[in-house]
Amino acid sequence: MEHFIETIGRNLFAIFGVLALAGAVIVVGSRSAVHSVLAFLFAMLCIAGCFLSLEAEFLGMAQILVYAGGIVVLFLFVVMLVEVTKAKEKEVFQLQSRYAIGLVAIGALLFTAIFRQTLFGAASPSALVLRPELAQGLKVAEQNAQAVSRGLFADYLLPFEILSVVLLVALVGAVVLAKTERV
Amino acid sequence: MVNLNAVLLVSFLLFSIGIVGVLIRRNALVILMCVELMLNAANLNFIAFARHSGSVSGQAFALLVMGFAAAEVAVGLALVVALYRKRDTVQVDDINLLKG
Repeated sequence: MEHFIETIGRNLFAIFGVLALAGAVIVVGSRSAVHSVLAFLFAMLCIAGCFLSLEAEFLGMAQILVYAGGIVVLFLFVVMLVEVTKAKEKEVFQLQSRYAIGLVAIGALLFTAIFRQTLFGAASPSALVLRPELAQGLKVAEQNAQAVSRGLFADYLLPFEILSVVLLVALVGAVVLAKTERV
Repeated sequence: MVNLNAVLLVSFLLFSIGIVGVLIRRNALVILMCVELMLNAANLNFIAFARHSGSVSGQAFALLVMGFAAAEVAVGLALVVALYRKRDTVQVDDINLLKG
């Protein structure tokens, strides 16, 4: 039993990755838009698990808050507004689906052939440790969130400020686009 | 200890699934979701490389990408709603105003 739990703990990334891929396939393949949104939520939660297993704790939590808390709810509301009233969806997939899938498969095979050394080659040299204090069992000097904030507010302050302007513009633009004609 | 190859493979497959979804679906909402999947694949790469280079810049960039993705979804969904009001459809192949 302990061995089993230990194995799961070691392969946490693989488990979450496979689950996220399964969720993504359901997003693409499901006939009903609500099922797509729910599968999208599942995939996002699994990707948050991937982030956590890559020691990006702050980003994992931000992923859950932003996607599960914000974006999925937004999608569900729009599905409610748009989809239920007149479901005249004759065909779910485009006519040229077969060619599109074939094209993407060919592209993926080419990519795999070119980058097979990167994708399947010898294991990369072991990762540098993000927080050496933790590995050495010393007092933890810096948590993940602190490190991210140092990167965000010291090294990349300008992109951060531009992002705030972009978010404001998107907010105003969304209101203008979605408001009704008469005032 | 996560192998870098595994992360790259997962994010590659996630991106491919996103592209397939954008190409084959007719519903504009599902297409937006597939764009989100592709952005998340890119985020996964950012974080994997941040982890393997021992630097935190990748995580900061992933956070910025997340913010831009949120802005993109807000505008995209507003477009979908406006489109539904005007043309009564969310199927992308019914929107052929530019067809000669």
